[in-house]
Amino acid sequence: MTYLVNEVCVTLHNNGSTKMKLRPSLRHALRLLCLTPLLLSGVHVQAQQVSVPPEKPTQDEWDMGEWAEPEQQTYRINGFVEAAAGWRLSDDPVINGRSTLADLRVQLQVDRDFSQSRISLSADVYYDGVLDQAKAQVRELAWQGNLSSLGQWGTKVDAKLGQQVLTWGTGDYVFLNDLFAKDFQSFFAGRDDEYLKAPSLSAKFSGYFDWANIDLVITPEFTPDNYINGDYFSFFSPQYSPISGTNVAPRFSVTGAQLPASPEYAVRISKSLGSTELALYGYRGFYKSPSSMTDTGLATFSALRVYGASAITPFAQGLFNAEFAYYDSTDDGHGTHPQIPNSQARYLLGYEQELVKNLTGSVQWYLERTADYASLLSHSLTPEFEPAHSRIVVTQRLMYRALQQTLTFNAFNFYSTSDADGYLKFSTDYSPTDDWRLTGGVNVFYGDHPHTFFNQFADASNAFIRLRLFY
Amino acid sequence: MKKYSLLATGLLLLSHSLAAPLALAAEVDVDALIQEAERASYYSGNDGRSDARMMIVDNQGRKQLRQFTILRRDVSDNGDQQMMVFFSRPSDVKDTVFRVEKHVDVSVDDDRWLYLPALDLVKRISAGDKRTSFVGSHFYYEDVSGRAISEDTFVLQSDEADAYVLKATPKAPDTVEFTYYVVRINKTTKLPMEINFFKANGDNYRRVEAIKIEDIQGHPTVVRSKVSDLQTGGYTLMEFRNITYDLGLDDDVFSERSLRNPPQQWLN
Repeated sequence: MTYLVNEVCVTLHNNGSTKMKLRPSLRHALRLLCLTPLLLSGVHVQAQQVSVPPEKPTQDEWDMGEWAEPEQQTYRINGFVEAAAGWRLSDDPVINGRSTLADLRVQLQVDRDFSQSRISLSADVYYDGVLDQAKAQVRELAWQGNLSSLGQWGTKVDAKLGQQVLTWGTGDYVFLNDLFAKDFQSFFAGRDDEYLKAPSLSAKFSGYFDWANIDLVITPEFTPDNYINGDYFSFFSPQYSPISGTNVAPRFSVTGAQLPASPEYAVRISKSLGSTELALYGYRGFYKSPSSMTDTGLATFSALRVYGASAITPFAQGLFNAEFAYYDSTDDGHGTHPQIPNSQARYLLGYEQELVKNLTGSVQWYLERTADYASLLSHSLTPEFEPAHSRIVVTQRLMYRALQQTLTFNAFNFYSTSDADGYLKFSTDYSPTDDWRLTGGVNVFYGDHPHTFFNQFADASNAFIRLRLFY
Repeated sequence: MKKYSLLATGLLLLSHSLAAPLALAAEVDVDALIQEAERASYYSGNDGRSDARMMIVDNQGRKQLRQFTILRRDVSDNGDQQMMVFFSRPSDVKDTVFRVEKHVDVSVDDDRWLYLPALDLVKRISAGDKRTSFVGSHFYYEDVSGRAISEDTFVLQSDEADAYVLKATPKAPDTVEFTYYVVRINKTTKLPMEINFFKANGDNYRRVEAIKIEDIQGHPTVVRSKVSDLQTGGYTLMEFRNITYDLGLDDDVFSERSLRNPPQQWLN
């Protein structure tokens, strides 16, 4: 473990002196952070020397140290400090440098509970060494509570108002009816899974009734995904890549008039029948990544409506889930517009089961069936790069916990049978104390053709390591 | 009842009456006893809440702590139960909530959910081996929610001054890591005070102990317990505080609503 930690530190220092352009104070903080695990491993060695636990717990032990008295304060503060680094496994001809992740991050969480409600803040401040930028992200700043003060009807309605992270649906890393913002840059770079979901400024109302539960989410200002734009990873351009023979990394962001001005609405109606959970979904908004272009060739987000349903139920020794969504591309109703995605029907079937003690496996089968496919091909400027009529992806996950759950291995593989490409995400977490967690892993994109969904990111394949210290 | 002592008693009394040892055994209704022990351990009141703290000590003496609040509601005594576990510490599991719909019918798996606040994700968890670690501790899920008494065959091993000692043998030995366990049930409280788990070779590798009992609303309640891994030397201490029974917890409390928006009135 010490070896691994040293490696991170050496690399961070190297980056610091070459590309990261760290300010002296930040560099000092980074060194301190890198020293901490060495100190911790020193503690670890000391602990080993006095490893004989007492036969009977003593009175002192029951005090459980600083937790002797239960918490009484009305607000709580906690969070973590994290250093993370990642490197490309091979060069990317259109992006300078191998670094794909170089974060020095502080997360602060503050909660205050009231009798019927809560206000919570979760904010990240971090230095992004890849872009050499200091950044801040408010992941949550919201009031959550019951609306009973508004009348009898309100007892059955909860609201969460403000900046928040939202998730629903039954897929594992596969989202059909979840149109809430995602951060694919973080996901590809190997940041913690929590960063796969990006926050949005939304109002969420949840009604709990005997006949069903209803969730309504209104996001007044359209919140796109944090899509792959060339900042960290390049992507295939049907217009330019065939000529240049390379990906493009334009580092673009969609702004101004190309950003939708209308709100997003998402609704879910869910019901449990015994052990089976059923849900219906609706969404009215826009494609979350800029997959369309204006007539003048600017990237934009075209209108989208989604209707869907899902079910999850115990089956055999495990859990079975099914989900469906119809993506109605309302700006291109007949699939004739080459710069706007066609409508699609999306299907997902999944099954998860514990295979042996502490080892869980799951498989998913996912299908995207493009509507008006003949029209798509006949109108496309680059029909040779359009995905198959039925794009199929199968996923497999294996998760193994060892050493009293202090060591976790996670392997997740996407493989597209129609594109002959895939994405393997492997990570391992080690956290033998409450104070720190060390994570390492790889993101590997593979395939046969340079333009396909996953394999276009072949040069984004990377290895990463993170150390998180909790406070 | 120990086979040896039964045999000895039998031999001793053989000349007088064969019925005597049978009558002695009949004094203790083992089925009724284990049902009582199950009720005393897991079904006090119709519902309950408790704050809990755990200290996990590994074989190298490294410590981890967990703090959470448990809400429980019985659908019926010795029957199905609903449970919610709200974690408050350490900070990486703060606001994580675990929900269980426990089914005593061993052919029906418990329904389990986990709420992960950082992703706002309610994750349905597939039925797993219940004899795996509960949140990294030496307690198993089954120690927390209760192992169905229908899964084992109980035999009275000895009848002591303050306790009945029972030997339990699993009906499906392939599904568990032990060959048998021996449980000491206090005669007054009917609480299991010590459970020792054995491998086939007679190796006692695991122990669950009730360390401290308090009377709460007339229910003798384990407020401190300990699980020891006798092979590695690692152990976990668990302490319950602020226990209240019969709060009148409604079925609605045990729902997805409480995962996302914890019912503060029962937690503080």
